[in-house]
Amino acid sequence: MLSIKNLKASIAGKTILKGLDLTVNPGEVHAIMGPNGSGKSTLGYVLSGREAYIVEEGSILFEGVDLLTMGIEERALAGLFLAFQYPLEIPGVSNLEFLKAAVDAQREARGEPLMSSKEFLNAAREACKAVRLPTEFLKRGVNEGFSGGEKKRNDILQMLMLQPKLCILDETDSGLDIDALKLVADCVNSQRDAKRSFVVVTHYQRLLDYLKPDYVHVLSEGKIIKSGGPSLASELEEQGYAWLDRQPGEEKSL
Amino acid sequence: MNSWFDNALTRAEAIDDWLHEKRAASLALLRDTDWPTRQTEAWKYTSLKKLEQLDFSAGTPAPSINAHSISDLNSINLVFIDGVLQSIPADLPEGLTIMPLAQVPDEHQPWVLDQFAGVKPPQHLFGLINDTLATDGLVIDIAPHVDLKHPIHIIQTMTAGNEAHCRTLVRVGAGARVTVIEHLTGDQESFNTNFTEYSLATKAELEHYRLALQSDAALTIGGSHFNLDTQATLNSTIVGYGSDLARIDVDISHQGEGTLAKLDAIYLLDKQTHFDLHSNIEHTAPNGTSDERVRGIVAGKARAVFNGRIHIHRYAQKTSAELNNRNLLLSRDAEVDVKPELEIYADDVSCAHGATIAEIDQLALYYLRSRGIGLEQAHLMLNFGFINELIDQIPNAVLADWLRQQLSGRFTRMNTIKHSGQEMAQ
Ligand SMILES: Nc1ncnc2c1ncn2[C@@H]1O[C@H](COP(=O)(O)OP(=O)(O)OP(=O)(O)O)[C@@H](O)[C@H]1O
Ligand SMILES: [Mg+2]
Repeated sequence: MLSIKNLKASIAGKTILKGLDLTVNPGEVHAIMGPNGSGKSTLGYVLSGREAYIVEEGSILFEGVDLLTMGIEERALAGLFLAFQYPLEIPGVSNLEFLKAAVDAQREARGEPLMSSKEFLNAAREACKAVRLPTEFLKRGVNEGFSGGEKKRNDILQMLMLQPKLCILDETDSGLDIDALKLVADCVNSQRDAKRSFVVVTHYQRLLDYLKPDYVHVLSEGKIIKSGGPSLASELEEQGYAWLDRQPGEEKSL
Repeated sequence: MNSWFDNALTRAEAIDDWLHEKRAASLALLRDTDWPTRQTEAWKYTSLKKLEQLDFSAGTPAPSINAHSISDLNSINLVFIDGVLQSIPADLPEGLTIMPLAQVPDEHQPWVLDQFAGVKPPQHLFGLINDTLATDGLVIDIAPHVDLKHPIHIIQTMTAGNEAHCRTLVRVGAGARVTVIEHLTGDQESFNTNFTEYSLATKAELEHYRLALQSDAALTIGGSHFNLDTQATLNSTIVGYGSDLARIDVDISHQGEGTLAKLDAIYLLDKQTHFDLHSNIEHTAPNGTSDERVRGIVAGKARAVFNGRIHIHRYAQKTSAELNNRNLLLSRDAEVDVKPELEIYADDVSCAHGATIAEIDQLALYYLRSRGIGLEQAHLMLNFGFINELIDQIPNAVLADWLRQQLSGRFTRMNTIKHSGQEMAQ
């Protein structure tokens, strides 16, 4: 599904990712943890194609295709989805109009017939229910005046509507209350199947308890310095990241 | 001088009705006024050439046309075709009186004489012309403490080859609440002047719209003018399409203490159209608040003119006044001429004033594209979002939906996608 080799990337002339390797197979859930500023969000942005992020070295294959030659919307249409750590507010563009445009674009790219307004509305209402956002939120500007947790749920709502192949969730759990965290975890779990993969960036064990990831990686200073099974997350929860510094780069990533 | 103006003065002299004294005073002022040239400050960016060449003396009969009523608005509709009022609905709600300007009963004449050219300041040339020529129009009286559930919807349409001058006076009684929609349409070669004077008594609340949807060859000059007494509230929305000549003057006078005025204006211009909005906000009493947001999208070879003046008088302490104008230019040939004017004579006020050429938000663009929306469509969505933000604020939901539909349809037809613009901070 995703194969990242020796990725070096910079923003504003500052190299953030310093030789990152990561392989995600279909159906797998990978968790990425790591200290603040280590480059977790940067990885998501680079994958999504955000313009200010410059890839200096390395390769990224998405389903065998060179992702780096693809534009932002092309990547999304190929099935890549990034739920943002800080979802943006776009006043003036209604959630509904935004979702419809995105869903239409997906369907067109997949060669599926467009949804009728009625079908679409029903689907959007269902998705609202799943993330427990009142349907009135569909009429509001994208994330306009939403609380932190509501914005995160709105991103998950988009994920449900767009049915991507690879979902990168950047700290979707932060800012969620306890019930919402469970809700979002349930949403993610409901989307898991043999083909769909997830890369979940988080600081906390709680989300991972629900998701039961196949792999846990530690990203530090732009590199994955340790990879392991779900038990790694509990070790980190207990001991923090400091103990890892003594053995930098020892672990081979998957 | 030019033939249209000469001719107008001649026509004005011939009018002799109950407003005669008022008309004569304005006519005297007009005789002392020079016809504007490019050197005239108030007309610096707006040419009157198209009007000077106009000759509709023959007139043409009005074809039957559909009234542009808006369904689900539940409004009280007053339709003018070429300046002629079609009818006044029979059973009006309690506390609402509507009269044709030509037939104002004696008991109402004193206040009408007071308000006629009493709210609208005398410096507007076409306001004076309207004083002398407007024999058609409406007088609307809302009794104190009446809460009118139905919006008053004044629809004015012009057809080819016609000229009309309309005047409307609205008196909102103390504590009364009302919505008035001035809705102007027509795209045929025609000319109308259209001035409306509002007086809001203590604690009156007015929700006001001026939908200046004339386009193409429909020339139009007019204004909406407001006097606000103590704690009165005005919430006004202006929408303009621009035509060969379109000019609106808005005057808001905060005369009582603790008044509140919100003014949002949207214009959406393309082709070779012209739209000129002059707003003038006068704070003469303390504790007033005014908040003005003007946003426009200008495409093709169109030109927008915005002149926003805020005048805070000496005794208007604790005034809070904000004015913000943003423009999105969609083509290299599009033009905006913006002139903010601030005059502050009180020392304890809060005032913000800014005009910018808007730029598309790159982050928002990225967000939309990251969801698979193509670059071009993402641009269109954000550009329309720029004015839709103001439509979202419109208090009347039915009208907001209707306007959103109209404006997005118009915007889609404009569909030129060229972007320019840096911040032009002032
Ligand atoms: N525009 C920029 N100019 C310079 N440095 C930047 C810029 N944007 C991000 N950075 C830096 O890049 C580094 C990586 O940031 P990133 O957001 O990827 O961290 P993160 O691992 O997601 O952290 P967190 O856990 O706090 O979300 C940080 O040190 C940040 O300050
Ligand atoms: Mg981050």
